[in-house]
Amino acid sequence: MNTFSRSVLSAAVGAVILGLGGLAQAADVIKIAVAGPITGPVAQYGDMQMIGAKMAVEQINAKGGVNGKKLEAVLIDDVCEPKQAVAVANQIVNQKIKYVVGHLCSGSTQPASKLYEEEGILMITPAATNPAITQQGYKMVFRTIGTDDQQGPTAGKYIATQIKPKKLAILHDKQQYGEGIAKEVKKTVEAAGMKPVLFEGINKGQTDFSALITKMKKDGVDFVYYGGYHPELGLLLRQSREQGFDAKYMGPEGVGNKDISAIAGPASEGLLVTLPADFSTDPANAELVAAFKAKNQDASGPFVMPSYAAVEIITDAIKGAKTEDPVKLAEYIRKNSFQTPIGKVAFKDNGDLKEFEFVIFAWHADATKTPVK
Amino acid sequence: MSGFSLLEFIQQIINGLTLGSIYALIAIGYTMVYGIIGMINFAHGEIYMIGAYVGLLVITVLGLLGVDSISLVLLATLAISILVTGSYGWTVERLAYRPLRGSPRLVPLISAIGVSIFLQNYVQLGQGARDVSMQPVLTGGWRFGPEGDFQVYLSYMQVLIAVVTVSFMTGLTLFIGRSRMGRACRACSEDRAMANLLGIDTDRVIALTFVLGAALAAVAGVLVSMYYGLVNPFIGFIAGLKAFTAAVLGGIGSIPGAMLGGVVLGLAESFASAYLQTEYKDVVAFGLLIGVLLVRPTGLLGRPDVEKV
Repeated sequence: MNTFSRSVLSAAVGAVILGLGGLAQAADVIKIAVAGPITGPVAQYGDMQMIGAKMAVEQINAKGGVNGKKLEAVLIDDVCEPKQAVAVANQIVNQKIKYVVGHLCSGSTQPASKLYEEEGILMITPAATNPAITQQGYKMVFRTIGTDDQQGPTAGKYIATQIKPKKLAILHDKQQYGEGIAKEVKKTVEAAGMKPVLFEGINKGQTDFSALITKMKKDGVDFVYYGGYHPELGLLLRQSREQGFDAKYMGPEGVGNKDISAIAGPASEGLLVTLPADFSTDPANAELVAAFKAKNQDASGPFVMPSYAAVEIITDAIKGAKTEDPVKLAEYIRKNSFQTPIGKVAFKDNGDLKEFEFVIFAWHADATKTPVK
Repeated sequence: MSGFSLLEFIQQIINGLTLGSIYALIAIGYTMVYGIIGMINFAHGEIYMIGAYVGLLVITVLGLLGVDSISLVLLATLAISILVTGSYGWTVERLAYRPLRGSPRLVPLISAIGVSIFLQNYVQLGQGARDVSMQPVLTGGWRFGPEGDFQVYLSYMQVLIAVVTVSFMTGLTLFIGRSRMGRACRACSEDRAMANLLGIDTDRVIALTFVLGAALAAVAGVLVSMYYGLVNPFIGFIAGLKAFTAAVLGGIGSIPGAMLGGVVLGLAESFASAYLQTEYKDVVAFGLLIGVLLVRPTGLLGRPDVEKV
């Protein structure tokens, strides 16, 4: 009993000391968690998110921070795995961080968002595009990127009106993001009176697509839409070329990064990709792009500017609403509009952007891209 | 869908055989270890992954050095990868199995899973978690069939995979069947305690088994990095699972069984992709496994197991 009460006492003292430490720190620093894949197969996208958010934090601090307080970016790795994302969300809750820029993959954003909603943490994802994330009736969840039900139709309309393939195949990786977007494309082309000859899922991490390619080749498919990420599409492109299957491919922003060219090589030439408009070519952002360039970073990645914008929205809201309470900030964000590198943004009640535009790019073997519209 | 086409069928057989060869090479590692010590080496998938990494690295380095003769690249890569990967196989046995010899069967099983997790993270830390990719070294192939219509395509790489696989398997069969060490292997597989009594160094035989399995996994790894050109620290898991399935399908403990199991599995996946939906490819593969085990619990070529006392 004696030792028990002593240990309880020491635990209590410890908690008080830790608590005070926390308070003392909270007084002059505002922490923002940046949660996304730092490692894992899609870490490239995490990079875009991290450099965007870090740049915003740096520049805001250089201008004196927020209400006299410095910002601090806490980078946390969720490897884009739903399970890991929940662990990360718990970590954020335990560290009493009140704002999150993330997550990146839709599949990891959705389970994490539930915790943030319950714990009253403000979450802005700069990258997760699955519509379901903002259809949960949550109050704390926002995004600075469009959704698949905008991206899918953009791709679908382009296929139905510009490409007009004789035989269309739609493939996806059975993940929330990839399958979601593939279904949107299917819905759009079907509304335009086109019936895909093939709608199939492949496995994430699959390396051999030869049987599927043979089947598409035999069926005379001349256009393939793939919903998913670049590793699988890269191999699909490469093996298609190898087998002499010369259909044109198209994919969502999840395939649009340099690695697709590293994997597929010359087979990536002419791939069509729907991406957010390239904000780095907007003259209004010239200074910011130069700042990225000075650090040898690439500002043209699709998630760089949305990440920057997410941090900016949080800090602008803190200034505007004169509070650090995330619940009040969420209300403020819903009611106001913000000037950011992705333009002037305002949010719908569910946390989606009122407007966001996806543009179609043609990808090249040297990993560059040119807009086609 | 549309009608049956003989040319497509032939193409699917080629696809399936290529995939099956790779499965078979990895499956042999599982089956050999099981045949001798009666345990599954769960770190084997990771050994294959290391083989693929070494293969990709060596090919890239040779490319930078300006070596462009395919046969030279292939031989050098195979040799180096087998050497490095074989030593990993030896180390796994030394660290995870030998100290636990004589303990209950579950113990080495768990230590092997530990090694598997360790190797995955070790490579991830050393090489990064990202996909490492490489452009094909060997391109081109033969086309058969009417011009402008569906043509069967057989790439040089697919032929190479088949040739390398068959020659290494023949080599292994000869080694097990004819050599002195091979005879010792067979003796250990029959009855390890008795072999030990008759003066066979069973520890050495077991170490050799791990090294041989790892060497074949290295061959598979090199072929995969040449064929698909994409490697990451996680490829060992799925490949290991499939190869293990192939080994069980063919009859675990039987080397010809592993070869047959690999090919059957590769063909089954290929046909499932072709004539059903790609989604069902794993369903068919594992369904086939369950079906075969129901009818023949020891697998296609497995001997009815006499319980060892």
